[in-house]
Amino acid sequence: MDSKARVRSEKMTIIDYLARRMNLWGFIAAITLVFFLIGILFPFYWMASSSFKTYAEIGGREPVYVPSALRLDAYRELFDPSDPSFQNFAANIVNTFKVSVPTAVIAVIFATLGAYAVARLHFKGKELLLNSILIIYLFPGILLIIPLFSMLAQLGTRLGFNVQDNLGVLVFTYLAQTLPVALYMLANYFRTIPSEIEQAALIDGCSRLEVIWRVTLPLAIPALVSVAIYTFMIAWNEFLYAFIFLNSRDLFTMPIKINTIFNDPSPRPHVVMAASTIMTLPIIVLFLALERFLTEGLTAGGVKG
Amino acid sequence: MAVVHKTSQSPRHNRWSSLEAQEARLAWFLIFPTALIVFGLVLFPAVFSVWISFRDVGLKNLNDVFHAPFVGLDNYRTVVNDFAFKYQGPQSWGAAVTSVVYSFASTVLTVVVGLIAALLLNRPFKGRGVVRATFLFPYVAPIVSVAFVWRWILDPRPSGVLNDILMRLGLIDLPKAYLATRGLSLLLVIIFEAWRYFPFAMLMILARLQALDTTLYEAAEVDGANTLEKFWYVTLPELRYIIGSIFLLRLMWTFNKFDDIWLLTGGGYGTNVLPVLTYQFSFGSFSFGKGAANAMILLVILVVFLAAYVGIVMRGTDEA
Repeated sequence: MDSKARVRSEKMTIIDYLARRMNLWGFIAAITLVFFLIGILFPFYWMASSSFKTYAEIGGREPVYVPSALRLDAYRELFDPSDPSFQNFAANIVNTFKVSVPTAVIAVIFATLGAYAVARLHFKGKELLLNSILIIYLFPGILLIIPLFSMLAQLGTRLGFNVQDNLGVLVFTYLAQTLPVALYMLANYFRTIPSEIEQAALIDGCSRLEVIWRVTLPLAIPALVSVAIYTFMIAWNEFLYAFIFLNSRDLFTMPIKINTIFNDPSPRPHVVMAASTIMTLPIIVLFLALERFLTEGLTAGGVKG
Repeated sequence: MAVVHKTSQSPRHNRWSSLEAQEARLAWFLIFPTALIVFGLVLFPAVFSVWISFRDVGLKNLNDVFHAPFVGLDNYRTVVNDFAFKYQGPQSWGAAVTSVVYSFASTVLTVVVGLIAALLLNRPFKGRGVVRATFLFPYVAPIVSVAFVWRWILDPRPSGVLNDILMRLGLIDLPKAYLATRGLSLLLVIIFEAWRYFPFAMLMILARLQALDTTLYEAAEVDGANTLEKFWYVTLPELRYIIGSIFLLRLMWTFNKFDDIWLLTGGGYGTNVLPVLTYQFSFGSFSFGKGAANAMILLVILVVFLAAYVGIVMRGTDEA
């Protein structure tokens, strides 16, 4: 296929394109694509549409594929205090923000400092440090939770803080999970910034810290944004640690709350789906808005980490 | 003598105050917070869990862990002989065998689906950017949401979507409890893993595909290769290393995964894996020593994967 044909074909719709090149492979590709799209999108459609159903629609003998109207019964149960089984989901949303925003902010600050050292400065033990941080990243969370739990319990009794139901403790454990990959992604990015720019600033009399603040960081904003979003998403979605460290309903983050509603003796799938929709929507929107940065970050961090 | 002494001293002095040394100190200062958190909250606990696995730690002495009685290999012995862990014939695989089967099958399926998706998106068509973004949805969406949607789709009642569709098509007569049927539930959990994680494999493979040298294909075309042959003799060999690294990364991550199976089946109906069993020992029966022993067994298997990863793939990717 010559380049002209390729340019032309890019301007056609999928259908046109396939009609022109209706050979065996084009046909298989079209079918597969449709199959993929349905398989991916249907669960999301089902989540959102189920959240707008009434209890009668959700509990009927046959599934209702299109809700009769956009009923807000499920959302009322989540947010309306006058609802008989009011869930106070707003508090859970706030809790989730309380852990994910600090995680993202602190992770970006610490990882920036560390990544700069790794990318620009020479020091003994750098390779060892980097490799151990990466290997640590592969440690399973379930392995760490037992010692972490008893360790923090000991520390808590000595220093006078509670391990359970403490969102601050949760932030620390999330930092341990996100810092290695954040460090790696940022270090990779810093390496792509030409060091001549920094050297010029150093010769002009800036100190290293000033160089970081005035030269490197402004140039690294895309990477900082993607690391912030990435760590935010990890903290936002995290289940296991929150599941173990949080006991009080008032402090539940969204994933734990959704799990609780799901396991309620009287099943109310529409409420579970409404809560899931609320939790998923910001992530999808964030992701679509910043897709370019994020996919690059994923591949850059993933190949080596 | 004094002169000699002075010259032997000054390089040392220089090393401390030289630019190089200043840089090194700054570097350690900058990396200290990250290193402290990562080592304190990951490395130390990891070592500590080895210690716990040899002790009898329960709820009663959790606050006094350092004086927990030493029990030797008892925890390991109990775990290995536990009916939930041990392989007891094809009807009851136990967590160890299930874990390995589940991780390998999910990873193979994830990579295959990711490869197909990558090939699909490698050809230009209008709307490719949107389609690519859509393909990433399962990977970025919160695990809790997608796991519960799947459970809702696989609902055992006739109102479950899959039951409804299969009954309408006449493929089944009675509704099935998909996630509560041995064998079927494991298969569905594997399919779920591929559904959720194929975008990761897809992104990696796509990045590699787009960097491929097109002259290779032109040469193959001159030699008269058809599409299938081009894929087999040109594309696949070029993707070998990236597929190898994705495979091992995903294998380790899947092996470690707790959330997915816990949320989908709770570890029941032949889907109990080592991470879930670790949870059940530690936070179900509050026997932290056994939980730690189980986690250590998990880690040993993981280290084998890791060794393979470092030995085969990391060395290989330098060339690729």
